Amino acid sequence: MTQSAVSARAVTQNFTVEGQSTLALDAIDLEIPPGQFVALVGPSGCGKSTLLSLVAGLRLPTGGTLLCNGEPIVGPVPQRIGMIFQEANLLPWLTAVENVAFPLKLRGMPKRERLEAARAMLDLTGLGNFADRLPHQLSGGMKQRVSIGRGLVQDPGVLLLDEPFAALDEQTRMVLGDEVLRIWARTGKTVMFVTHNLSEAVYLADRIIVFSARPGRIVDDVPVDLPRPRTFSMMSSERFGALKDRIWAHIRDADH
Amino acid sequence: MLRTPRQIRWAQAALAVFVLASWELLPRFGVIPRLFVPSLSEAIGALYEYRAEYLAHLPATLVEILVSYVIACGGGVTLGMLIASSPRARRMALPVLRSAYAVPMVVLYPVMMVWFGLGMGSKVAFATVFAFVPTLLTTVAGVASLSPHLLETARAFGANRWQRILYVQVPASLPTLIAALRLGGALVIVGVTVAEMLGAVEGLGFLITRHRTLLNSPGVYGGIILVLLITSAHEVLLRRLEQRVQKFRES
Repeated sequence: MTQSAVSARAVTQNFTVEGQSTLALDAIDLEIPPGQFVALVGPSGCGKSTLLSLVAGLRLPTGGTLLCNGEPIVGPVPQRIGMIFQEANLLPWLTAVENVAFPLKLRGMPKRERLEAARAMLDLTGLGNFADRLPHQLSGGMKQRVSIGRGLVQDPGVLLLDEPFAALDEQTRMVLGDEVLRIWARTGKTVMFVTHNLSEAVYLADRIIVFSARPGRIVDDVPVDLPRPRTFSMMSSERFGALKDRIWAHIRDADH
Repeated sequence: MLRTPRQIRWAQAALAVFVLASWELLPRFGVIPRLFVPSLSEAIGALYEYRAEYLAHLPATLVEILVSYVIACGGGVTLGMLIASSPRARRMALPVLRSAYAVPMVVLYPVMMVWFGLGMGSKVAFATVFAFVPTLLTTVAGVASLSPHLLETARAFGANRWQRILYVQVPASLPTLIAALRLGGALVIVGVTVAEMLGAVEGLGFLITRHRTLLNSPGVYGGIILVLLITSAHEVLLRRLEQRVQKFRES
């Protein structure tokens, strides 16, 4: 049996705000094999982003165990897990290439070496010509490409994307989706992708995990049996529609 | 009126001319008694007449300001950064510091004269105490207004606490740091001058008080002009710094 890239075992998360305790995640069990592209969908506030921040090690779960390659996650391990946020969250005083190199700087890599690695990443995300621009000189889509480069620069086995395209327009979203697929196909990384957009989930993923409304539980685990490479025309196919309908039914029910 | 930057600059210049002209003319025509406000030319004349004296006392004031600046602003900003970086420290320290802020520090000056003597020590001590807490509180407030996303991102990429302070918190809060320095610096200058006026053997504040005791108003205003020049120089330096920081803030 191959070891899972990410495992969640009975993961529970409670938030206490002003003495009020809310259950955000309720006993999540999930095994993600290496190289799989998994989309997490569900109604707003269902805890899918919370699960991502737990996998990233940004906080510890209230209960249960999270493992990355069989080892417990007790804090951020950026060499193994790269994170891409909804907002690009670039440091505004650093150029694109310096932003991509930032995680390497934190590790103490010498300047020349890390800038070289960062340039290669920007080439991969199609932004090689904009390496020396400051973030405010870049469009939303370009910023997100920088952010993707930053997530990839340490060559982590697992890539977490938290609604990475939610703030972008539809066309940029499509283009960047293809870009992520291309990078994924080339690097074979394990991907966890949180999104609100069902078409995006079906288009990108091998497998879709559907969450219920709070407290978040997994209500469906949908394998996406569409062939790869995915094409734009597939989105109008019957199979694509059926998959979307199946997921939508859960989300609609959860809203009651 | 006052639409283009050019028009605004003209209006500013006109306002300055008006104020300076009033300063010159009102005392001259007896609208304001000269003992209260001597005319501008008299004040400048006194500045020239007593130039040797002012020059002899200026270094003491500048050194006191510089030393207090480094301790109060440097310390206030550094400690503010550290406190702001930890929610626990913020909860613990802020109520105490806010209460300290409410204490009128000037009541401490007689005590400080006893502790540190009539020389520079008591001026530096007073100006530092006077400016430290406001600088610190401004720094903390500036950091608290930052979006937490950048810090969270840095954490996700493995930044430890010191790296987060150094690489994210400090550069992100540079504009508010300038606000903290602007306030702290102004308070340091006030603190030094006031301390010199209340009890000293040298410095511009000391000269101002001495001229006042002798009812030599032009001499008093000569000293006031010098203090204003120091304040303006501080402001000019901060503007320069601000412009250098500004270019990243367009986003």
